[in-house]
Amino acid sequence: MASTNQPRTASTKRKRGKTIVNLVLGVICALWLIPTLGLLISSFRPASDILQTGWWNVFPHREWTNAETIQLSKDVDLREPIEVNGQTYSDDELRAGVLNNDQRLIWENRRARTLNVQEQGWEFKPVLTLENYKNVLSGKEYKLKLADGSESIQKGTGLSQAFWNTLTIAVPATVIPVLIASFAAYAFAWLRFPGRKTLFVVIIAMLVIPLQVALIPVLKDYTALGLNGSYLGIWLAHTAFGLPLVTYFMYNFISQLPKDLFESAFIDGASHFTIFSRLILPLSVPALASIGIFQFLWVWNDYLVSLIFIGNQPSVQVMSMKIADLVGSRGNDWHLLTSAAFISMLMPLTIFFLLQKYFVRGLMGGSVKG
Amino acid sequence: MKKRSNWASLLLVSGLSFTLLLSACGGGNNAANNAPAAPANTGTTEQNTNDGAATNDAAATGSPLELALKGEYKGTKVTMFGPFVDADQVKFETSIKDFEEKTGIDIQYEGSKEFEATINVRVDGGNAPDIADFPQPGLLAAVAKTGKVIDLTTILDQEKLKANYNQSWLDMATMDGKDGKIMAGVWNRSNVKSLVWYPKKQFEEAGYTIPQTWDELMALTEQIAKDGDTAWAIGIESGAATGWPATDWVEDIMLRTTTPENYDKWVTGELPFTSPEVKHAVEKMSEIWMNPDYVYGGTKSIVTTAFGDSPAPMFDNPPKVWLHRQANFITSFFPETAKVDEDYDWFYLPPIDEQYGKPVLVAGDIYAMFNDRPEVRAVMEFFTTGESIKSWVQSGGVIAPMNDASLDWYTSEADRRMAQLVQEASTLRFDGSDLMPGKVGAGTFWKGMTDYVSGTATLDEALAQIQEGWNN
Repeated sequence: MASTNQPRTASTKRKRGKTIVNLVLGVICALWLIPTLGLLISSFRPASDILQTGWWNVFPHREWTNAETIQLSKDVDLREPIEVNGQTYSDDELRAGVLNNDQRLIWENRRARTLNVQEQGWEFKPVLTLENYKNVLSGKEYKLKLADGSESIQKGTGLSQAFWNTLTIAVPATVIPVLIASFAAYAFAWLRFPGRKTLFVVIIAMLVIPLQVALIPVLKDYTALGLNGSYLGIWLAHTAFGLPLVTYFMYNFISQLPKDLFESAFIDGASHFTIFSRLILPLSVPALASIGIFQFLWVWNDYLVSLIFIGNQPSVQVMSMKIADLVGSRGNDWHLLTSAAFISMLMPLTIFFLLQKYFVRGLMGGSVKG
Repeated sequence: MKKRSNWASLLLVSGLSFTLLLSACGGGNNAANNAPAAPANTGTTEQNTNDGAATNDAAATGSPLELALKGEYKGTKVTMFGPFVDADQVKFETSIKDFEEKTGIDIQYEGSKEFEATINVRVDGGNAPDIADFPQPGLLAAVAKTGKVIDLTTILDQEKLKANYNQSWLDMATMDGKDGKIMAGVWNRSNVKSLVWYPKKQFEEAGYTIPQTWDELMALTEQIAKDGDTAWAIGIESGAATGWPATDWVEDIMLRTTTPENYDKWVTGELPFTSPEVKHAVEKMSEIWMNPDYVYGGTKSIVTTAFGDSPAPMFDNPPKVWLHRQANFITSFFPETAKVDEDYDWFYLPPIDEQYGKPVLVAGDIYAMFNDRPEVRAVMEFFTTGESIKSWVQSGGVIAPMNDASLDWYTSEADRRMAQLVQEASTLRFDGSDLMPGKVGAGTFWKGMTDYVSGTATLDEALAQIQEGWNN
């Protein structure tokens, strides 16, 4: 804003600076997006194809195609130099392919002693399938053999149950900490009570403690209370683990609201609760939304807390655990992870795009404060 | 106890419902969800104190399993936690369905990919399942030392067990408890590891014969190389567990080049990795592994090829690779179109030194009991019978270690021969890396072998590095 009256040179300099920033951002975007694109394309490819060729092969590309086959004598010793049409090559050369003008000489089948003379041409034969998505969404089919040798097919469960479970966990586990933290932040910022600073420092100090150290003690308490494997238990766990950060974030925002506002409200006879619900909440919508996104993403993607406190029973299992299980006990269905990853991304992406404008504002709300 | 926990959760629920009302989000179902969890849990602790009485009852009227089949424990629940997920979970649940229907006991199985990491947390947190399924006995041994695993010596009828299991299995179930040796679990599902898979049809068409000795195996390998293919498909990449297929090879060769006693000493750490016996075994393995003409993709591709993907070229037409040494579970990675007994089959990894007979390397799942209640005893007893795994055996991919599991149950010739191999084995030894402490068996052994194969360490360096694991 201050630079509107600056000389021309400064503004061109600024433009150049902007180009560089944009370039750097573009490179970073590409670095993130290209693997994601690769994953997306892979999620539509059959597993056997993924093993053989890269995902970029679905686009038109140049490839060697067979033009002519040369049959050598069956007795050719592969460990000696090999003579082909008057020239001699070593086995290693023929395995890697020998370039000659625009043609390539390469083994077709070493056992049968056949060689290919290949030419380069454009190739565009993408093999795409929805099979991965079908398996993930509606459940895999398991073949069981019966005693008489016939097969029975059992249908596995899809992601829908896990999706609703995750939503049931994520929504309260976002709303509860954000609400409690807003109350707390208001109190820390605008109420005067003894031990206020000490308490606040204690909460901030909690940020440093990794949640892993609390797992076993909390689990013991949960066992005594019978909270294991219940939604209530995991809501409380997520709330407790999320509170320090959310409180700190909300404090930063609420403490920056103008003081005069509250003073005049007080003079008009408003109670603390009225001030909170009528003034603070509406004013802090951007902060609430952005920390809400943070907390929601954290809970949605969480694996560890769910693993410990809610477990893997189908009735309560969350998406991240269901997806991990999809690959099978020995990881034989690894290719399903591609499509499962995209399906699980949908919800966070939707939330992000819906609340995007708050997200950017909120990022600053937490950090750039004097 | 019951009252207090209900009261406490009620307080929590009412406290939270205030915030939930504000957020216009229904909290009605949390009370409902919480309610069944609390009584079930108090039930566990009450029964724990009563187990003395339960033993007396059982002794009076028959074994827990017989009582259960009479419907004595109808309506009870037994929780179970293990590593089977997905297809394995479906097969497991099918195999216990009949028992559940007959007895009215509800076995609530919970499978997790993170079983190894979670079971310790659960046991320490007081949230142990009634029965846990350990794929690595080394892990169970560590838990058994804490005294939290229930000793099965007096709970299960030892005579029946002796009749139904090869003694090797029972020995492997005996572990150090808090005070002295205990029987920590029962074996239920097993895998056979000493198998070499090959594409049957093309193998026969090419005129190859199944090698009966190690020399014949090497001659076959050389013959295939001369014919223009690489014989062996080897891949040891497996994420964080990269290197484990190499440990299986070493174990298999150890059994073939030295005495079973030496093998046992090696597993317990008395025979160091730097000893000539172990070194000799790895050198024997290197005859194949370190020869780029014998390994598909050459030696350097071993470390970067995922173990499950490595046999894929065996099913190309014509096959690019002919032999693959791996346990029977590898069939779940084979293409769905390939048929057992027709397209592929296995042969026994041949002996190297005749004096050591026909040793077989196996792995398996041991079920341990954490809460002693009559219905849990009944389920444990059920797991010692072949019946408990019958339908899984029929579906293929597992071998029943029990003697009363009939060979007729196996639906493929390949599986039947495997079961026979185990029953007739002169020496039966468990996968050594699963028996060693985690730091070695799932740590330096994996890493050392990977370093050796990738060429970042010489054999002596790698073995010294593996041995270091014992000292930590």
